[in-house]
Amino acid sequence: MKFMLMYLADQVGDPCPVDQEPLRSWLEEMDTRGVLLDGGPLRGPETSTTVRNQDGTVTVLDGPFAETKEQIAGFDLIEARDLDEAIAVAGAHPAGDVEVRPLAPGMPTPASSEQKPGTQRYLMFVCWDQTGEGEIRETRATDADDPINGWIEEAGPRRLHGWQLQPPSLARTVRNVDGTVTVTDGPFAETKEQIGGYDMLECADLDEAIGIAARHGAPVLDLRPIPAG
Amino acid sequence: MSEQSDPVAPVFHAQWGRLVAGLIGWCGDFDLAEEGAADAFEAAVVAWRRDGPPERPLAWLTTVARNRVRDRLRRRTTELAKLAILEATPTDEVAGPDGFPDERLRLIFTCCHPALPMPARVALTLRTLCGLTSAEIGRAFLVTGPTMEKRLVRARAKVRDGRIPYRVPPPQLLPERLNGVLAVLYLMFNEGYAASSGDSLVRTDITAEAVRLARLLHRLLPDDEVTGLLALMLLTDARRAARMRDGEVVRLAEQDRTRWDRAQITEGATLLAGLDGRPVGAYQAQARIALEHDSAATPEATDWAGVAALYGLLPATPVTQLNQAVAISMVDGPAAALAHIEPLTDSLSGYHLYPATRADFLARLGRVQEAITALDQAIALAPTGPERRLLVRRRGELRNGPQ
Repeated sequence: MKFMLMYLADQVGDPCPVDQEPLRSWLEEMDTRGVLLDGGPLRGPETSTTVRNQDGTVTVLDGPFAETKEQIAGFDLIEARDLDEAIAVAGAHPAGDVEVRPLAPGMPTPASSEQKPGTQRYLMFVCWDQTGEGEIRETRATDADDPINGWIEEAGPRRLHGWQLQPPSLARTVRNVDGTVTVTDGPFAETKEQIGGYDMLECADLDEAIGIAARHGAPVLDLRPIPAG
Repeated sequence: MSEQSDPVAPVFHAQWGRLVAGLIGWCGDFDLAEEGAADAFEAAVVAWRRDGPPERPLAWLTTVARNRVRDRLRRRTTELAKLAILEATPTDEVAGPDGFPDERLRLIFTCCHPALPMPARVALTLRTLCGLTSAEIGRAFLVTGPTMEKRLVRARAKVRDGRIPYRVPPPQLLPERLNGVLAVLYLMFNEGYAASSGDSLVRTDITAEAVRLARLLHRLLPDDEVTGLLALMLLTDARRAARMRDGEVVRLAEQDRTRWDRAQITEGATLLAGLDGRPVGAYQAQARIALEHDSAATPEATDWAGVAALYGLLPATPVTQLNQAVAISMVDGPAAALAHIEPLTDSLSGYHLYPATRADFLARLGRVQEAITALDQAIALAPTGPERRLLVRRRGELRNGPQ
């Protein structure tokens, strides 16, 4: 099973306040175990750009999709036997607080790829209104008739991988306070709009990423730049 | 040394934006470009006062700035790769009419990118294109210099880390992005002109910078709405000298029209004449309204029906409808105008000009008590001293009976 781990940090302070040494040994261990598929730190939420699509009217806004106290500072896509193993992997991460979300079934393992020179990678969170009744547009292509296939084709090599997440009700939030790990049900923040999927984009610049996001069809798309290297 | 004989100050004012724009195009980094530009002007202060200004100041400044940027990069060992790029970059710059590239158009689109917060767009534009310091921008927007500096640092970080492109947007994005640029310039102009708060002297500067940028945009990117906005600014700013008297805002109807800037009105009118027969955009419609006022010798001579019709061309926002009501009151009378603004009560509840305008209609209908109550509300909401003083005076006049 595949999971998305989303590392949380208070919006004030360093984007990813993680001690380098414990992080290195965690990465080494998980790499040896073959757990890690893709991941890394994200730039701070102030570098985020949100594309909103309301009935075809697209607006570009500064900042993340939700102004929560905690923000996602980094992520990992992992392969684990089950939820328990995913929670154990998250609990061992030195970041402390992590939302663990299973991915919808059927996701192919993403091929790792070197970043092309002169490009910028963005992690795009595909979000929708939890309280609304609108149809969830999924970022996956298990069904040949799914209109998302057209978008995936259009994005072409600029989209490296992406998939739908299981709903926030299936999320677990792992908190590590001074070595004591607690696990609670639900996402890290009870916001009206929730992350429902992701896509990893590799673009020439922000305008290209905005253009791709605008054509996705989901109501809210949050583009987070990923530092190179 | 007096201001007049300082060879650097006028060049700074005229060329800062072009120098920075060219440097960003060359090294791709806002911080480095600004530091390099500042270094070059610092060097100019010494060299030009000693030897006199060079024949081509911008070329001189660019050469010095590039050398300083290279020096700064050499000191940063971690950026050796960047240095290699700098050394190797061929000059593929497009030359301007004076044989020197003008990349300010790219810069203005980058500074006004929708992924930046609006206050940051205004600040970044004033800093990088106009050369205002963070302390100066801060004074105009009522924040401290360090707070404004932080805002600028964050904005530049977003440009760099989010990879906001440094370019004029491609044709399919241009109309939308140009609207965004015009919105920034108009906000800047209004902040300066309306003096909603803050230091009035600095605010006059901001207005002047907004007009300068609109002129620049008009020259570099001919577009009807750019022309419309420039005309709107000129035709509004033409009334500046008559707009304040003894620390009190003077209403349009009561302004001394001989103090209006005729040259600016003529320039605005000429710009609008060039748009005759073209589709009327929102800025052009507002400019034409301003021109109707500017061309009337007296308030009574205004073509009020024409003004009301022009308001009809604008998006029907509450503020537009409120302004339209003033014209309606002159054509169809205050009762019709009052009915026109009645539905706006809720949406404009925090806007002092709503009860102020309502008071005017009520007073003309002889409903003096209601007018005084409306003025009480307007006075409580007025954002600045000069506007409050005007309202207090009007209330006094109503209380003392007809003049």
